[in-house]
Amino acid sequence: MRKYFLSAPLIIFFCMMIVFYYFLIIKRDPSELPSVLINQKAPMFETTTLFDNKPFVFEEESGQQVLVVNFFATWCIPCREEHPYISKLSKEKNIAVIGVNYKDDSRKAIQWLNELGNPYSKVVVDSNGRIGLDWGVYGLPETFIVNENNIILHKQVGPITNEKYDDFIMHIENSIK
Amino acid sequence: MAPSLGYLTLWLSLCFAILQFITSFKKDASSIPQFHKIAAIGLLLSTFFSFFSLMYSHIVSDFSVLNVFQNSHSTKPLLYRISGVWGNHEGSMLLWILVLSAINYWIYKLYNGTNSIFVSKALQMQAFITIGFLVFILSASNPFERMIPSHPNGLGFNPILQDPALAIHPPLLYFGYVGFSAAFSLSIAAMRLENDHKIPWHKYMKPFVIAAWTFLTAGIAFGSVWAYYELGWGGWWFWDPVENAALMPWLLGTALLHSLITVERKKSLQTWVLLLAILAFLLSVIGTFLVRSGILTSVHTFALDPARGVYILSFVTLLGGYSLGLYAFKSKNFFNKDYFSFFSKEGSILVNNLLMVIVCASVFFGTTYPLFVEIFSNNRISIGEPYFNSTVIPIMIPAILVMGIGPVLSWGKVDSKKTRRQIFTSIILTILATIMFFSFYRSFNLFGLVGIVLSSWIISNVLVTLFIGIKKESDKKTLSSVNCFKHFNGMIVSHLGVGLLILGITGSSIWQEENITRMKVSDETIVKNYKIVFKEINKLAGPNYYALEGSFWVYNEKNKIITVLRPENRIYPVTNNTSSEVSIHTNLLRDLYIVLGEGDINEGWVVRIYYNPLVVWMWIGVLIIVIGGLLALKSNLTILRRGN
Repeated sequence: MRKYFLSAPLIIFFCMMIVFYYFLIIKRDPSELPSVLINQKAPMFETTTLFDNKPFVFEEESGQQVLVVNFFATWCIPCREEHPYISKLSKEKNIAVIGVNYKDDSRKAIQWLNELGNPYSKVVVDSNGRIGLDWGVYGLPETFIVNENNIILHKQVGPITNEKYDDFIMHIENSIK
Repeated sequence: MAPSLGYLTLWLSLCFAILQFITSFKKDASSIPQFHKIAAIGLLLSTFFSFFSLMYSHIVSDFSVLNVFQNSHSTKPLLYRISGVWGNHEGSMLLWILVLSAINYWIYKLYNGTNSIFVSKALQMQAFITIGFLVFILSASNPFERMIPSHPNGLGFNPILQDPALAIHPPLLYFGYVGFSAAFSLSIAAMRLENDHKIPWHKYMKPFVIAAWTFLTAGIAFGSVWAYYELGWGGWWFWDPVENAALMPWLLGTALLHSLITVERKKSLQTWVLLLAILAFLLSVIGTFLVRSGILTSVHTFALDPARGVYILSFVTLLGGYSLGLYAFKSKNFFNKDYFSFFSKEGSILVNNLLMVIVCASVFFGTTYPLFVEIFSNNRISIGEPYFNSTVIPIMIPAILVMGIGPVLSWGKVDSKKTRRQIFTSIILTILATIMFFSFYRSFNLFGLVGIVLSSWIISNVLVTLFIGIKKESDKKTLSSVNCFKHFNGMIVSHLGVGLLILGITGSSIWQEENITRMKVSDETIVKNYKIVFKEINKLAGPNYYALEGSFWVYNEKNKIITVLRPENRIYPVTNNTSSEVSIHTNLLRDLYIVLGEGDINEGWVVRIYYNPLVVWMWIGVLIIVIGGLLALKSNLTILRRGN
């Protein structure tokens, strides 16, 4: 029994190395993880807004127009990288972007937005990650496109950067049609 | 001339390393030390020469060397020309090899006539590691590559790396990482000895581990100091993959260090020590791999080259496969059936060990998790601070509680009545210190309370242990300043440092206040009880940059001026880079920290002002921990020399 126990480090080590090799060798092709939430109804939630601390009910916003829901936080470095593109998106496309401030210090988030600019039509607070859990968020940033029937049509994991921007716009345009 | 010589001596180093490796196989064991003497000294001298040739090329700005051309510039100050040697991938690998050769020489010095088989096996492993890195540098990262015709001037140097703290951060860190290679080699050598337990391998391992741990602690601290002063984000730890890569071996090193003490006293935990020694070094190399291969993105990405990544990874696989395979087969010989009580010094060490390993595992998981996500999608994500704070802190709290109690407990059987009395005293002291702190600070916060209790708990226990030791001396009528000083051993001093470190960490992360605002000249703002007036802004010219320097006058609540802070916004024309120089006013209670951001004279500038309480105690704490480490190193070297 004990003997097997002593080989555990070796086995774990090899499994890890295989994962690392995989990363170095694969051509990282942009196939996206299909989310179970795609083409499903967007999970409803109630929370408060970041700036004025007023109640926010997701149902009241959704169901009339196409919405973009962006999960972000001040501690997330890729979010900083993404920020200008979110600003560009809300300006150019004239679309409502709801920012969900995920597991963050509200004070810092307010200052972050004051400093970098606030591209969101509404910013809401998800201080304990409850909303993120319902929406299947596993890392930041993540962005969802919800159509006027309240169905999630697209999910973007990771920052919307220069390379991803046009693709994301295409998804939005498809949703509006 | 110098670059060619440096390149040549690097090949010579490879020859010496191969000599050391091959001669270890000799049947006639008595002649091995002679060969190893030549190899170890030759290796050290040739690497030394090679390293200094590169340094010379940087100092004289020989731009025919590609490495100098890419990373230096004739306007760069001397200090940063020197530190520029290891501020890039190729040079830092050369430094890594230099430290490896120094450690190799130190292992060679362990030969004493009775341990030649053991030491030769350790040197063989060490030679193998050195060969691995030498082949890597010669084939994939040659620092002496020439560029003919040469350019009149270099491309410059990343300005945020131009900083004194960063100049010494890599050498310290590398000494730490590479120091664990000795523990690794000695652990392999111990397992390869055929049932010969007479060699006190753990005694040989201990000074290396203490040295590696101490340097790693100092290295990480300088990295944090640099992040605090230079990045201008008001913080000192960002759970960046590169920081985690240094933290993981540190956590295992801490566990290893304490387990070695137990092995020395009780002969138990030997199997565990062998494993920790292997893992600490493997994680050091994996850390290097993660940084160099570019598979994780971070603020300090070095070279983005998959070919280099494949080489380092294959080398790690070889080292890990061999060492852990050997461990799977051989380590059972080191099992010890003496189980010990939970309520004893060794019990507390074991509990802490397990907690450290769990923390290390969760940091590892958090660091590599984005990679696992990337397997399925092509996206970089960040799980960042909340994950680490919510997994690491809850495990650290019991670890720190146990750490406090450890020094009070005795080895083996514990006199529970006496111990209980001592612990009771510490508890009273902790409560008193906490009440004092909050009556002075008057800002209550649950996490703050936990931090302050833990910090006072560690310090109280250290004081109680110290008091008991000194009281014993006075009972025996042997009290003198020398005997008194003896009680300030490595453990006591380091633990005291950890107590202060926790105080600093708690203060600066719980009670930090920040004010980000746009200010024009002569605007004023308030942070905490300080009024800050933006007096003027001036243009400056430095040795290789231009700067805008803001003058901020700081007044206290009595409207008396305390200091003038002058943060800068620098532009380096050579690389067209900008950097912001933070300006900080420090005292024992708090730091006032100002960063000058983007802006112009009409719109005003974005100014970030942080009130960071107790930060200086973090640096004092680490300094004391390092002093403790050096004290422990000194006494262990004395023991080793006497043992020889």
